[in-house]
Amino acid sequence: MEIGQHISQRYNEELEDIRNQVLKMGGLVESQAEQAVKALLESDFELAKTVANGDEAVNQMEIDIDEECTRVIARRQPTASDLRLVVAVVKVITDLERIGDEAEKIARYSKKLAKKQKITTMHSELSHMSQLVLTMLHDSLDAFARLDAEGAVGILGKDQQVNVELDNLSRLLITFMMEDPRNIKNALRVSWCARSLERIADHAQNICEYVIYLVKGKDVRHTSLEHIRSKYFPYDIEDGEE
Amino acid sequence: MTDVINTMPGMPRAVPLESETPKPAVDAITGEKHRSEFDVEINGTVGKPLVDNAKMSSRNCDVFYGDKQAIFGVDLDIGNNEIIAMIGPSGCGKSTFLRVLNRMNDTISICRVTGEHTLDGEDIYGKKTDPVLLRARVGMVFQKPNPFPKSIYDNVAYGARLHGLASNRSELDDLVEASLIKAGLFKEVKDDLQKPGTGLSGGQQQRLCIARAIAVDPEVILMDEPTSALDPIATATIEELMDELRSNYTIAIVTHSMQQAARVSQRTAYFHMGKLVEVNDTDKVFTNPEHQLTENYITGRFG
Amino acid sequence: MSNSNSTEIIRAGLKKRYAREKRFRLFGIASLMISFAFLLVLLFTIVSKGWPAFQQTYVKLDIVLDETVLKVNNKSDEDALFSANYQKVVRESLNKMFPGVKGRKQKRDLKNIVSNSAAYTIRDDVLENPDLLGTKQTYWFLAKDDIDVFMKGKIDRDLPEDERRLKDYQFEWIDKLIEEDRLEKRFNTVLFTNGDSREPEQAGMKGAIMGSLFTMLVTLMLSFPIAVAAAAYLEEFAPQNNKWVDIIEININNLAAVPSIVFGLLGLAVYINYFGVPRSTPLIGGLVLTLMTLPTIIIASRAAIKSVPPSIKEAAIGLGASRIQTLFQHTLPLAMPGILTGTIIGMAQALGETAPLLMIGMIAFVAEVPTGVLDPSTVMPVQIYLWSDSPERAFTERTSAAIMVLLGFLVAMNLIAIMLRKKFERRW
Repeated sequence: MEIGQHISQRYNEELEDIRNQVLKMGGLVESQAEQAVKALLESDFELAKTVANGDEAVNQMEIDIDEECTRVIARRQPTASDLRLVVAVVKVITDLERIGDEAEKIARYSKKLAKKQKITTMHSELSHMSQLVLTMLHDSLDAFARLDAEGAVGILGKDQQVNVELDNLSRLLITFMMEDPRNIKNALRVSWCARSLERIADHAQNICEYVIYLVKGKDVRHTSLEHIRSKYFPYDIEDGEE
Repeated sequence: MTDVINTMPGMPRAVPLESETPKPAVDAITGEKHRSEFDVEINGTVGKPLVDNAKMSSRNCDVFYGDKQAIFGVDLDIGNNEIIAMIGPSGCGKSTFLRVLNRMNDTISICRVTGEHTLDGEDIYGKKTDPVLLRARVGMVFQKPNPFPKSIYDNVAYGARLHGLASNRSELDDLVEASLIKAGLFKEVKDDLQKPGTGLSGGQQQRLCIARAIAVDPEVILMDEPTSALDPIATATIEELMDELRSNYTIAIVTHSMQQAARVSQRTAYFHMGKLVEVNDTDKVFTNPEHQLTENYITGRFG
Repeated sequence: MSNSNSTEIIRAGLKKRYAREKRFRLFGIASLMISFAFLLVLLFTIVSKGWPAFQQTYVKLDIVLDETVLKVNNKSDEDALFSANYQKVVRESLNKMFPGVKGRKQKRDLKNIVSNSAAYTIRDDVLENPDLLGTKQTYWFLAKDDIDVFMKGKIDRDLPEDERRLKDYQFEWIDKLIEEDRLEKRFNTVLFTNGDSREPEQAGMKGAIMGSLFTMLVTLMLSFPIAVAAAAYLEEFAPQNNKWVDIIEININNLAAVPSIVFGLLGLAVYINYFGVPRSTPLIGGLVLTLMTLPTIIIASRAAIKSVPPSIKEAAIGLGASRIQTLFQHTLPLAMPGILTGTIIGMAQALGETAPLLMIGMIAFVAEVPTGVLDPSTVMPVQIYLWSDSPERAFTERTSAAIMVLLGFLVAMNLIAIMLRKKFERRW
C-alpha cells in the first residue's frame, strides 16, 4: 500500500501531509504519555505540571488534521485505500486525542501525588503496567507508521495483560487502603492513574484496529482475536502464539 | 523504559513503507496471493463476476476487430433488476462489451464476437435469435443525446411504430405519454409534443432518448456514458431516473465517472486492456478493491 | 525576466504577422475581382451579342389571294390548296409595290425581302379558311435575314457597294418600306417555337430545348436511383476493407475524371452498335450522359451519406430498426440535401455537355421538334455549336441568344438545387 504515484502530484502531497501530521501528533502524544508516566513514577512535580499544560498542542493538531481530512474528502473524493487512509486517520486522531487527555489526567494526579509521600509500595507494579501500556502505544504507532497490519494484529491481545496488571494493582490498592484509611485518597489517585493507563491501552488497541482496516480493508472491531487471525492472517498463526 | 522513550516529542517517525520482514509471495496453505504482491498482471477476474439471478450472462467472451483482439475471455453476469456499472480507462473494452449485449457490433463488419451470451438463458448470438427482436428487448442509450430530427412525439413513437406495438392512434398516444412520464420528461414537454426533439436542452434530449428506449418496453437498458455530455444538474436528474427505473428494468451503464458508478450502481465491473479485472459490489470496489489495477484506477494512480 | 522578454519578441513579430494576413486578404479580394471581371466581360459579350436575336424584323405585305394566279378552281379541293403556288402571290405583291424591277438578279433579290416561310404562312391560313381565296389580305411576314441584319444596324451603308451584302437598289426598297411603315421589329417568338432551320430568320431552339429536356429526363431517371443505390450500398452495406470494394471505389473516382468524349465512344460501341438503341435520340443521349453523371452523383451522395451522424443510425438500430429501415427512414432523408446538390451539379454538367453527344449522332440537323425520347433530336449545347459553325451573319446573334437560354436553364437548375436544399435541410 502506497500513498504516492497518484496522477495528481498535489494529491500525493496532501495525503502525505496528512499522514506526516498524524505521525507527528502520535509522537507528541506518545511523549506526553511517557512524560506523564515518568512524572508519576518519579514524583516529579515540575514535569507533571508541564505535561498537564501540554495538552493544548495535541488538541490543536486534532482540529488541524480533521480539517485537512475534510478538505481532501471534499476536493478529491478519495476512494479505496485513499478513502480508508482518510477515514482511519480521522479515527486515529480521535484516539490520539483521548490518549493525550488520559496523559493529562495522569499528570494532574501525579502533581497531587508528588506533594505527598512516595508511592514506594506500588512503584514496581505501576512501573510494570505503564511500561506495558507505553510499549503497546509505541508499537501501535509504529504499526500505523509502517502500515504494518501483521504488527498491529500482534498488539491486539495485549490489553488482556494490561487488565491483569490493573486487577493486581487494584487488589494491592484495596489492601493498602484497608491498612490505613488515610491512604485512601492517594490510593484512589493511583487507581485513577492506573485506570487511565488502561484506557491508553484500549485506545492503542483501537489504533491497531484502524491500521488493519487501513491495510486490509476489513473492519475488525468487535471481532474476536482468533477470528481475525484465522480469517485475515492465516500465515501468522504460528507467530501469533509466541 | 529507556528503550520506549526513543521518540522526541513532535518528531515524525521514520517511515519504512515496506514491512521489514519479507512475506512469502504466495501463501503456502491457501495459495492466495498477498495483496501487496499483486502486480499488474491479470490472471482471470477477481471478485464476483457471476450472480444467481442473472438476466444476461456472458461466458468466455472474445471480441476481435479484424486481427486486433479487443476483449479477452470475459465472464460476466448481469443480475436481474440491478444496475451494473462498467468502468475502466479509455479503450479498455467496456463500451465494446456493452455493445456485445445487444449485438450493436453487428453493424461493424470487421467485428467478430465469440463466446456464449444469453438473455434469460437464450443464446443472443444463436441462429434463431433475430437481432431486431433482441434490440427491442435490450434497449440502448448513447453517449451523445441523439434524438431523431423529428418531433418529440415521433421520437418516442418511433420504436413502437417500428415494431407495431400500438394498434391505433390513441394507444400510441398513451404509450408516448407513459414513456415520457417514466423518463421524467412529460411535465416539461407535454405542450410541445410536436416540437422538434433536437430543440430540447442536452439533459432533456437524453431523457427523451431514454423515453424512446423505454417506449419499446425493453427488459434491459444499456447506457453508454449517458451523461458524459451533460451538466451536473442534468446528470443528477438522469441518475435519479436510473434509480427509479431499476425496479422494472435491468441496467448496464458504461461510465467514465467513477463517482457516477459509485452513486448509481449495485455492482461495478472494472475493465483493463480488454480484460475484466474485477467485479464486485460497488461498495466493496470503492472501499476495498481486491485487485491492484482496480485500486490504481479508482484512486487515480495510473488512469 | 524571461516573461517580458518573450512578450517583446512576440510584439516585434506582430507587425509582420498582421502584414502577412493583410496581404493574403488582398490577394483573395484581387482574385475574386479578377474572376468577377471575367464573368462580367463574358456576360456582357454574350448578352450584347445575343440580345438583338430576341427581336426579329417583320415586313407588311398586301397579298391578293387571286384564284387564277394560284390556279385553284375548287375551294374544297385540299390537295390543290396545299400545292398551290403561294410564292407567286407574294412575288406579285412585291412586284406591284416595286414596279420596274429588271433583271434576274434584281428580281431574285426583290423576292428575298421576305422569308420563304411567307408562302407557308399564307398556305396555312388558306387551308384553315378557304373562303379567303379571292380576297385581299394584309400580312406581317418574317423579313429575310439580310434585311433583319440591316435593320439591327449591322450593315454599314457607307461601305463601297461591292463590299457589302446589300446593294444600293436594295437600300432604296428598304427605305421605301420604312417610309410606308412596312418594316417593324417585334419580339422573336420564332426562337422559341421553331425547330432548327437553314434559314436564320426561321431557326428556333424549341427542338434543342425539348431535346435537352427529354435527355435530362432520361439521365435523371436513370442516374439518380442508380447513383443513390450505389452510394448507399458502398457506404452502408459493402464489406469494409474488402479488396473488391476498394477497387470499385477507386474506379468510381477515376470515372469522374474520364474525358466525356470517351463516354460517347462507349455509348456508340455498346448502346448503338451492340444493343441497337436508335441514334440521335434523347434516349441514347440520356444513356450516355447517365454514364457520365453517375460518378459525380455517387461521389456527392457518398459524402452526404457519410456526413449523416452515426449517432442517428445507431439510435435507430438500437431501437430495433433493420438496416434498410435505418437507411430509408433516417440516413437518406438526412443525406438528401447533399445528394440533391450533387445530382443537380451532375445534371448541370450533363446539360452543358457536347462532346459525348457528337459521337452518338445528336449533332445531326433536325428541323422537327421531338415529341418523345425516341424522336431524333439535338440538345442545346449542340445547337449552339451548330449555329456557331454556320456562315450566315444572323446566326451569330442567335448563337449568343442560345447561350443565354442555356445559362438561364443552368441558373434555374441551381435555384432549384438551393430551394430543395432549404426544404430538406434539417438540423440535428
